[in-house]
Amino acid sequence: MTTRHLVCLAVLLALPACGKSPDFNTDREMPAALPDYATGGGGTASGTEGTFDHPAALGDITTDVREALERIEEEGPPAYTAHVHSCRKIPYATLGRVLTSRGVDLAAEGSSAGALFRESDQALGAPNYGARISESTDVTVATASRLFDIFVQAAPEIIAAMPSLEACKIGERGATMFDAEGACTADGISCLLGVPATETHVALCDTFVARASTPEIGRAIAVASMLAANFTCE
Amino acid sequence: MTQLSSKLAIPTAIATLLVAGCGGYDYANEPAAAPSVTDAGTRADAATSVEADAGAAPVDDGYGPTVDTSGTLSAEWQARLASRTPDYSAALRTASLRLRGELPTLLETKFVAGAGNARLAYESFIDAWLEDPALQGQLLTFWRNTFRAGGSAELNAAPAFATWLVLEDRPLTELFTAETGACATITDGVISPGDCDNGVPRHAGVLSTPGLMSHFRSNLAFRRVRWVQETFACTAFPAEIDAPIDVGGASPYTAPWGFETIAGEGNGGRIDFHDVSSVTCANCHATMNHLAPLFAHFDDDGMFQDDFAVRLPLTDSPVALRSDWLPEGEETGWRYGVSATTLPELGEAMANDPEVEACFVARAWNFALGKGDIVATLSVVPTTVIATERAEFAAGGHRMKALLRAVFTSDDFTSF
Repeated sequence: MTTRHLVCLAVLLALPACGKSPDFNTDREMPAALPDYATGGGGTASGTEGTFDHPAALGDITTDVREALERIEEEGPPAYTAHVHSCRKIPYATLGRVLTSRGVDLAAEGSSAGALFRESDQALGAPNYGARISESTDVTVATASRLFDIFVQAAPEIIAAMPSLEACKIGERGATMFDAEGACTADGISCLLGVPATETHVALCDTFVARASTPEIGRAIAVASMLAANFTCE
Repeated sequence: MTQLSSKLAIPTAIATLLVAGCGGYDYANEPAAAPSVTDAGTRADAATSVEADAGAAPVDDGYGPTVDTSGTLSAEWQARLASRTPDYSAALRTASLRLRGELPTLLETKFVAGAGNARLAYESFIDAWLEDPALQGQLLTFWRNTFRAGGSAELNAAPAFATWLVLEDRPLTELFTAETGACATITDGVISPGDCDNGVPRHAGVLSTPGLMSHFRSNLAFRRVRWVQETFACTAFPAEIDAPIDVGGASPYTAPWGFETIAGEGNGGRIDFHDVSSVTCANCHATMNHLAPLFAHFDDDGMFQDDFAVRLPLTDSPVALRSDWLPEGEETGWRYGVSATTLPELGEAMANDPEVEACFVARAWNFALGKGDIVATLSVVPTTVIATERAEFAAGGHRMKALLRAVFTSDDFTSF
């Protein structure tokens, strides 16, 4: 069954729900000669030898009815889901600003986070307006994995830069991601995530560090993991 | 409650989804179709049918609470909504990302978290961010994504104009009614309205900008029509649905227009929009064909021509004639019973359409709550969800800043 069939079925199904009469007997204007219309063909273009392209969407991305149904089954009906926040992908430009404000040099070369970011616009769902495609809001596997790659590369830069970042200062004092003993700090996590750190955040962060092969690797994994979790949804 | 098998749950859900275009989730309080003597019986039948449908919401064992097709939620879903609690710190983060494209600073985070009245503190930030220079960039992105256009001066013009309307606190309806300014420019980060020079006798906001008209060029101007419908009415075609009538095909005819008010092989058209051999083309084309001639004077570059400048998908690609859309004597229009013989008249009709008003609110709502495009991703926003914001939007003269404030300070946005 094609999408078009599903849509037709859906329209038919929806009509009674809309409160429209299912009775076809109406005195609304009727075609003059029903059999002619039913035959198609006749030298005009809509016969069997003249069908037309009807693109599924204005761009090339769309959600078909089956996908929408699966979403309803997973998330609930529109009258519920419309009330609650969705998990949308962080926009490409927003990610760039967030990284910059947390100390990442987006102009850096090599295998840096900045270079990865610059090369990842398609994987991160950036728009292609020339093809009439808006920025994607979906978090795909490719998007999530590339985000984590970027965060892993960005973590050492963020840790090093945090004390001097305007976004992480209270007065003249900048927050640090880790204290002198190497433990995670609540202020550092709060600045990293943009929400107040909880005790769970801090404990989880310390666990990441403790379980790594070296403290340096552990700190990077801790920061990258928290960023990835935080930015799975904008 | 009635138990529903999983097989029946699927069509029920489909019907619920598509109710967006009909009674339950219709953005307009009244059917889009204009009053008609012959429709009177249909309207009465509809009322009876709605009443009959408003019984207990079915529940599927494997699914849990499900939809009441009248547009309200079962008790279980309502309980889930009621279980949310305000979290102004989380709301601050999300609002900051949406309105500024940036995380809140540590100071801002701590300020709200430590405030005696967190809601008041949160709202003070929303007010500040709605005046923050960073809002311009976020609005530009919003409108580019809404219009599916950007990346060049021509394609940025309309999104920039829409952004300018918001920043200047002007009515969004000027998107369709502005006779000047819709070809806005961005110079050194400053948006300036600018006049379009594509030869249009009298402009109608973004409905006549060369960049968009070129971007959505196609045979018979149908892509332009589709863009207008999906962008500003928030539903895909068919845009109008009335009582089905049998026209001899596999599926009934459901548009409110008379079947012969559009062209076909029997009344002078070179493409048979009356064809019903596979699907009933007229269900969508009844509305589309009444709109398309208005957009058919723009050529591929978006320049206005005195004659029609779009082609037919036939051998040798002939230039379209009016009779290819509509039979002689049939006027163009926005909706059945809403005449629009020029683009400015179309703009006026759209500006006065409650469906368009609701579409603006729904798009702002989806932007704030992180939904995808309302049409492309079927992210439907039921009427009841945005009733308060819509009323404020209308009462405030269709200003988007006030709408954004209402949405970002709503209980739904601040609850998790």
